[in-house]
Amino acid sequence: MGDFSAQKVGQKKDRTLTPHSFQGLLGWLDQGTNSDGQQYLEMRRRLVDYFDRKNLTNFEELADETLNRVARRLEDEGTIESETPAKYCYVVARFILMEHLRETQKERVMVESITKHQPTQSVSEHQAVQEMEIKEKMLNCLENCTLQLDPVNHRIITQYYVGQERVKIENRRELAASLGITMNAVSIRACRLRDKLEVCVRQCLGR
Amino acid sequence: MNNPAANNEKIVKYLLGSLPEAETESFDEMSITDGEFAVALSAAEKDLIDAYVQGELTGATLNDFRSNFLASPFRRGKLDFAEALEAHAKRHQPALSETAGEELLAERPTEKKRPGWFAGKGFFTTPRLAWQWGFAVAAIAFLVAGSWLWSENMRLRQQISQSQGHPEAPGTRESELQKELEQQREAIAKTEMELTRLREERERLAAELKQQAPESQVAAGERSAPNQQPSPRGVNIASFILTPQMRGLQQVPVISIPVDTDRVSLQLELEPDDFRDYRVVLIDQITNRNIWSSSKIKATASDRKTLKVNLPASLLGPNAYVLRVTGVSTGNESEIVGDYRFRVVK
Repeated sequence: MGDFSAQKVGQKKDRTLTPHSFQGLLGWLDQGTNSDGQQYLEMRRRLVDYFDRKNLTNFEELADETLNRVARRLEDEGTIESETPAKYCYVVARFILMEHLRETQKERVMVESITKHQPTQSVSEHQAVQEMEIKEKMLNCLENCTLQLDPVNHRIITQYYVGQERVKIENRRELAASLGITMNAVSIRACRLRDKLEVCVRQCLGR
Repeated sequence: MNNPAANNEKIVKYLLGSLPEAETESFDEMSITDGEFAVALSAAEKDLIDAYVQGELTGATLNDFRSNFLASPFRRGKLDFAEALEAHAKRHQPALSETAGEELLAERPTEKKRPGWFAGKGFFTTPRLAWQWGFAVAAIAFLVAGSWLWSENMRLRQQISQSQGHPEAPGTRESELQKELEQQREAIAKTEMELTRLREERERLAAELKQQAPESQVAAGERSAPNQQPSPRGVNIASFILTPQMRGLQQVPVISIPVDTDRVSLQLELEPDDFRDYRVVLIDQITNRNIWSSSKIKATASDRKTLKVNLPASLLGPNAYVLRVTGVSTGNESEIVGDYRFRVVK
């Protein structure tokens, strides 16, 4: 993420986004201001979560397809009449979801007949070892990513998620007091830092 | 959505896929169209995953988490991350209290640990110990309330029997009430006289001010009251101080902009952070449209970092607005650092 170049639309879609239409999308989402692509990233994140909550495996592709369709419509018609850009994105996302569910329904019979003949996979020892290795690698990535944080943020992320029950609450209260901010403010900050770290770790793992 | 605890409960149900369809659809929409809701949803998801990692989920919540929430590889990835984060946090926390140290040494159980900060936040887990204490406290409260009611009952009975034994009592009470009524009437009359005097005084002062220096009127005020200052060229500026928006429900400050104001100066108090530059965007909360944005601006630092934003007053009608502040790092990376909500009345 973080790459603002025009992306290729899903395999079945006939048109790719031009840099011009992508710029148009960025401008439309910004509504006359320049957010340096932040609005785009935020909208994409929301769409990814939306499709993921529908338990669809190709959630990223569907999120991109939503934004691409919005961009193409913008390019074709010059403007989009909608209450807000977010509202229009939701309408398109919902339409794409329905479309996808209809397609999946058609393919289901075929997929079922294939999977029926596949042997059930059990978690082998090899898989367990692999899982452990991935976890170890993730922890190393996390170490590296947190090293990139400045001391205050590093302290927030290490202190905020420590302990259980009262210890955890007490840790958070102490942290907020030492930073001179409220508990709410510290939780919002920890939440954002966590999002950043998660992205960093995913990139480090090559996912 | 006025009850935060009920809202949190619904958000968790939504995340677990156990919310009724109609509500799910409305939450779906808000998750994309409502920025504030999207933030709350993201925080609730992290809390939910952490609660699972720490073995705090039980019953139907645990079942739904396993069967539905973890059905997605993306969310399983989030769980892996949460586990790694917990391990990392423990590794970097040498100076923990004794209790915390014991907890760190303990193996991660799957279901039996008591709930942690979610319980404190009134989220979705209910610890058995908390119930026990709750019942004990409730029983004591019932006992105390019961004995108070009993003694009050006895006192009232006594009063009734006393008044029945003194036939002149109702008359005495009536005259006492008459007296009180008279006193209140007098007080009201005094207040009205005082009000009339103050009105006259205000009109007199206004007339004097108009005669002496019409261009130098300055209205002083506190936080959300305007401090209207005319510039040498006769531009009226109303200034206000806004504090950062916290998570949860909080009263939105109302700012009153006098009709003849040309510019509105807003001072935004910042939480401590490491940014040197900021950008501010003004969002109309009803339409969710950006109606103004600043260039890069620097914060002024006295005892507290503040950002000064000057807007044309014509931009601000009687409406609800958000000033979204984004921090810009030296590497030109942006991060939203706070929302400042306010309502304008004219």
